[in-house]
Amino acid sequence: MDVMQGPEATKTKEAIVCKDVHKWYGEFEALKGVDLTVASGEVVVILGPSGSGKSTFIRCMNRLEEHQEGRIIIDGTELTHDVRNINEIRREVGMVFQQFNLFPHLTVLDNITLAPINVRKWTREKAEDLAMLWLNRVGIPEQADKYPGQLSGGQQQRVAIARALTMQPKILLFDEPTSALDPEMISEVLDVMRDLAEAGYTIVAVTHEMGFAREVAKRIIFMDGGQIVEINSPENFFNNPTHERTKLFLSQILNH
Amino acid sequence: MAQISADPPPSSDTQKNILSTVISSIFDVRVLGVLGQIAFIVLVVLGFRAIFANFGDNVEKLGEAQFICRDGRFDYRCAYDFMENEAGFDISDPPLTYVNTNSYWYALYLGFLNTLRVGVLGVIFTTILGTLAGIARLSTNWLISKIALAYVEIIRNTPVVIQLFIIYFVIILSLPKVDDALQVFNLPIFLSNRGLAMAWPQLMSSSAVWIAFLVLGAIQFQVTWIYLARQEERTGKPTNQWGWGIFGFVVIAIIGWIVATNVADTEAMLTPKSSLIREVDGISKVVVTKSGTNHISEVPLLPEDQLAEATLNVCVLRDSKSEPNLTRQLRSQKVPYKVIRKATPDKATTDLLDGKCTVFAASKSILAGELATIESPTSYRLLSVDEQPVVWSVPRLEGFNLAGGLSLSPELFALLIGLIIFYGGGLAEVVRAGILSVSKGQTEAARALGLNEAQRLNLIVLPQALKVIIPPLISTYLSLIKDTSLGLAVGFPDMYLISRTTMNQSGRALQMMIVIMAFYLLISLVFSLILNWYNSKITMVER
Repeated sequence: MDVMQGPEATKTKEAIVCKDVHKWYGEFEALKGVDLTVASGEVVVILGPSGSGKSTFIRCMNRLEEHQEGRIIIDGTELTHDVRNINEIRREVGMVFQQFNLFPHLTVLDNITLAPINVRKWTREKAEDLAMLWLNRVGIPEQADKYPGQLSGGQQQRVAIARALTMQPKILLFDEPTSALDPEMISEVLDVMRDLAEAGYTIVAVTHEMGFAREVAKRIIFMDGGQIVEINSPENFFNNPTHERTKLFLSQILNH
Repeated sequence: MAQISADPPPSSDTQKNILSTVISSIFDVRVLGVLGQIAFIVLVVLGFRAIFANFGDNVEKLGEAQFICRDGRFDYRCAYDFMENEAGFDISDPPLTYVNTNSYWYALYLGFLNTLRVGVLGVIFTTILGTLAGIARLSTNWLISKIALAYVEIIRNTPVVIQLFIIYFVIILSLPKVDDALQVFNLPIFLSNRGLAMAWPQLMSSSAVWIAFLVLGAIQFQVTWIYLARQEERTGKPTNQWGWGIFGFVVIAIIGWIVATNVADTEAMLTPKSSLIREVDGISKVVVTKSGTNHISEVPLLPEDQLAEATLNVCVLRDSKSEPNLTRQLRSQKVPYKVIRKATPDKATTDLLDGKCTVFAASKSILAGELATIESPTSYRLLSVDEQPVVWSVPRLEGFNLAGGLSLSPELFALLIGLIIFYGGGLAEVVRAGILSVSKGQTEAARALGLNEAQRLNLIVLPQALKVIIPPLISTYLSLIKDTSLGLAVGFPDMYLISRTTMNQSGRALQMMIVIMAFYLLISLVFSLILNWYNSKITMVER
């Protein structure tokens, strides 16, 4: 198994299809009809002010949040209440969280191999081999036997990425992966993400790293108030934003 | 305190200086700390002196009568000699055989066993109930979580003694009489005002042989496992370690059962040649002749009076090992039988000669001895009883009681249930707090990786929650064990009740108080030692 090769190809051309997705928290409508199609191998970055619904949106894509209206189809499988569909999608979609969410009671290696052994039903040997390949790729094979609490934030996030990737997903979701990191550790995580984008993974990332967005994203989605306000190429988005709300947002974050 | 001054200070100033040095050093935190500790030690010493003085005074007041040795001397060291006297009181439902001529020590020992019995069973079932209720409290199912909530709140907010009274007087004592005991879900579990009786595997004389085979099977499992694991490593082909291991274990267990059944030849029965039973191949083909029927299968069809006549009277000794195997065979042959228990072989033989019992079942050595005392031994026959190593003993009505199986007296049952329900409620909250202490991100990460609900609970949430749960769990267990002394409220003869009775009868309050405190201290310390060791083991992980 060569991890340097890219992911397995998605079954359909469109890795993610979202149609008119609505999500309420009680009375509050967090998503007000969101449409988005992400092609296989595409890298999409979602930007927006806090409370705009971007995290909710990305968390709907693997059913950490449940959408109440509209359709979400991941690699040809629709997210319904059918538990088989949910489990299948979660196997194909890896997620990386802002707070890393590593399991503190397990070693780095056990963190990574837990799901492959219990969900994919691999032998321990196979899971550990692949885990070590991914730890090598994210640059911290020597930390395999340590506990997460002994690692720096940047190292923990790279372990989290290796954990998601050892499951061999086709699609990766990043939910503000660098927001909880010290500034000097951000680049080590962004380097890994850049690497994955080049390898051909379908990536949806919520981030505030404008440099990463400009350089790696194929499209930028700007959300506000539970809706998609603007979809644009990075170049146009940063240089010629069409929407007033986008201009305001950019002026706030670029001129602080 | 350094005062910078060009002139040497006058003497009155020197005094002032010393005073101010002393005053300011009193307010020095380090000095204050030492002074505080000294004051505390003084208080503790004074307190202990007062207690010991009081203790000494009381011992004086008790007089010499309490400290008379068995040889009539007076010596304080003989304070516990009275414990070797006859207890003189009865113990209902003793865990071991007991008569009231046994010593106080023995009675107290039985109380200790009873306390341990309730404590250990209570801890096990409280853990199960508390964990389930704690998880149910967090269930997303509205009904389940609300039922768990109601349980926890009602139980935690009412006194445990009142709950015990309700369980004992209102619920258990008002259960039906033993002859129409409630059967739970048609299982061999019976509830009556005599407590709980349920079917239970009973070990027979040949069970040691079978257990040896089971151990062999376990060793086989381990060996097979290691062998297949090595083979898997060598060839790279997956092997079915579980399947082969369990298969081997089952095969060895079955062989062991057959061997144990055939090897065992210690139990038998004695019966007149002219009696109901005509010997054919053990008793597997029992024939009842007296009532005119020739085959067992016809017996249940008889009218009631004839059926009573056909009933086989089986005499056995108390705690007989022959009885379960014999009655098992009689039941499988559908032979109606009645068990009559006799205290000694002599009495059973007399009954056999009188015709009060048709069969006397006991071990072969006893029967051989009895046969020698009978005047006309040739008119009697010795038949072997087939022996299984383990007999599933089912409770059945015998006189006014249920015999066989496992039985718990109403007092023990009430105390056990009461403690389990009360401490289960407390434990539910401990478990809930432990689970809530695991951050939401942990479950989210596990869900995102595709782990199902059971896997999330077992692999992620519980291992982390355990670290929070264990310390309060230890104190819950210790409280439960100490609260077994509430057996007093329902009349369960635990350690405390027996030492109270001893105290009242012998008048040795001081001695008994010391004994009872020492016993509880011992149990609690041993328990907390074990649990603390476990706690330190699981908290060592994670750096």
